[in-house]
Amino acid sequence: MAELFSEVYNCYFQVIQSLVKQKSSLSKQELSHCIQNTCFEESILYLLPRLTEKKWGFYEEKDGILHSRLSENFCVPLTNLQKSYLKAILMDEKIGLFLEEEEIRAINAAFSDIRPLFLPGDFYYYDRFSDKDDYMEPEYRKHFRTILAAIQNKEYLDIAYESRTNHRLRHNYLPCRLEYSIKNDCFRLLALRSHAKQPNTVVTLNLRRIKETAPTGVTLPQLPDINRLLSSSCCQEPVRLLIKDRRNALERAMLQFANYRKNTRKLDADTYECLIYYKKDTETELLIEILSFGPMIRVTGNEAFLTLLKERLAKQAAFTPKFRKT
Amino acid sequence: MSKFSELIKSFSKSREYVRDFFVYGFKTREEFHGWSSRTYDNERRRLESWLSGYVRQDYTEKGKNIHLSIDSSLQDVNPLYRVWKAKSFTDNDIMLHFYVLDVLLESPGQTADQIADIILSKHNILFDAQMVRRKCNQYAAEGILEKEKHGRKTHYRPGLPLRKLLSAYPALEHAIKLFQLSSPLGILGSSLMDNGSFSNNLFLTKHNFFVHTLEDEMLFPILQAMHEKKAVSLHIKSAKSGKPSELEGAPLKIFTSTRTGRRYLCLYLTQAKRFANVRMDAIKAVKPKDSCPDYETILKKLERNKHMAWGVSFQNNGRFRCEQVKLTFQIQSACETHILQRLRREGKGGAIRQIAPDTYTYETTVFDTNEMLPWLRTFTGRILSAESDSGHLEQRFQKDFLTMYRMYFQE
Repeated sequence: MAELFSEVYNCYFQVIQSLVKQKSSLSKQELSHCIQNTCFEESILYLLPRLTEKKWGFYEEKDGILHSRLSENFCVPLTNLQKSYLKAILMDEKIGLFLEEEEIRAINAAFSDIRPLFLPGDFYYYDRFSDKDDYMEPEYRKHFRTILAAIQNKEYLDIAYESRTNHRLRHNYLPCRLEYSIKNDCFRLLALRSHAKQPNTVVTLNLRRIKETAPTGVTLPQLPDINRLLSSSCCQEPVRLLIKDRRNALERAMLQFANYRKNTRKLDADTYECLIYYKKDTETELLIEILSFGPMIRVTGNEAFLTLLKERLAKQAAFTPKFRKT
Repeated sequence: MSKFSELIKSFSKSREYVRDFFVYGFKTREEFHGWSSRTYDNERRRLESWLSGYVRQDYTEKGKNIHLSIDSSLQDVNPLYRVWKAKSFTDNDIMLHFYVLDVLLESPGQTADQIADIILSKHNILFDAQMVRRKCNQYAAEGILEKEKHGRKTHYRPGLPLRKLLSAYPALEHAIKLFQLSSPLGILGSSLMDNGSFSNNLFLTKHNFFVHTLEDEMLFPILQAMHEKKAVSLHIKSAKSGKPSELEGAPLKIFTSTRTGRRYLCLYLTQAKRFANVRMDAIKAVKPKDSCPDYETILKKLERNKHMAWGVSFQNNGRFRCEQVKLTFQIQSACETHILQRLRREGKGGAIRQIAPDTYTYETTVFDTNEMLPWLRTFTGRILSAESDSGHLEQRFQKDFLTMYRMYFQE
């Protein structure tokens, strides 16, 4: 049986393969740089001597330059597991955003002897939202592909968008990334708006609300670092939580908040403090996630977040018989 | 004393460490019970090497505390995939990998003896032909090489390269960039990006629980058993109590929460004649067993029943098999349509009706009302009542709410 944990996927193998494909000769500095960028922190200690000395013999040194002894056309053919994975993703309805029906059929035919690694029906997302995007809709596919091309070309798009209040807005945007939400099963465009008052503020547009997209022909030499911009949009003050480890609350909370940047420390035998860093536009989502834990989690800061939480509790108290009597 | 290596032979021990560091993020050496100090130090050093850039350190009264800090919505690739890329190998493994493929890419259709001869003449390295044959057969089994029999001789040639596929279907590269982040077993998508030497510059994901990749070693044989309609025997270590146990049943589906980060294997327990869900992170070993003759019938039964499980529970501890639930909310029709929208999209098909101005009911039937409680609490501030056949839902909600109220307003 093929192994998922195999040396074939080892990052040392990958870095050598990538180097051989890219360059037939390189300096030791270039080699070190590539190892440091691609492999683990300590890989260089092991890998560099084996590549520069005669141990493995992949390189021959002449005048301080390493010359590859392997063919420039070197490549590693696909493993059965990789083919099986490709067959599985061809069954996902989102594949139609990228490939036409006949292309999907042709790839499937090329792998006719391979079974898909998983089937869509193998997984049941029991709390996923039901109002997913319609990936089969031709206009949606068209906008998706226009946006993908614009991200690659670093090109501004003229986008007509229908707001939540059903107002039609039209602006030029620089598409930076498409964000897929696993919970909502939908895509959002993360973009920068042209001529915005705050030029480095990332705006989020739901793809299903995009009504028109048109290339503008205006391009940039380089896209801004979207991850840095998004990271800097995190609130200065994190939410500060106290978690009592009862009813398995600590494990539940740590897992549920595992996809946030967070820092947790133990205060005493069964109390933990957890700091969660969040973006302003996900504040309500985080608030209701915290509410779902009930009394197992106590918010102690920041003040603004605490106020929001208390407002909800005060509203609920007005509906609670015990409080209505008093 | 054995020399430290950042590469590992087996995935299982490191999986536990990485999971604890990633999920909890705050355990000190003393808190890792059951492991020696040396083991802790080595595992921590490996983790720091694999995930450098994501590891933070701080000092507490209890000692140095390292933790992983990863915001999954900002990652182009799941950093935990790096653990999968740390498999140890021998010098012969890596040398044969490159030399055998190099020979066959230049001159396809060689026997193991011929490959050994070419390596010797071209690279001046002597490999035993038997060793070359073993590697070629291993790679043929993995699909990297293809075998052809000519009489008694076996000839090897390279399999399909990714670049050929991508040159015919360039958009497949973009699809791989998305699915490596969002699909199950995305580690293989990431390995395809490594193979094709491209990186993801198009997609980000939200609500993505990266920690699931650490369960993929168990998911893989479970999926195979599901496709072959076979039963499995599981070795389980309870996430709550740490107690080990064995369980046997027919694996049917992977139940995944997009909110809590938990994944479960839904099994049919043949002897107990019921469905049960086991947390994927509690499964430590999987053994395939015999075929299940009634697999399709059981799967159909699950499909009929699964909509009544709010989460993963198919049982009700009380006297009702399933309970009718009626929730009443105050929602301002004019300006709070987003709340109604939440009920529609999160309410799993429950019936929503307006019964008075700004007052709505939501009705459904579920096996276990306890599982609804976290969701119900997310509507705090709007809940007028939470009726159920047993009355437990309202009681638990009110009890917890009063505790919360006191916690924030009276302490």
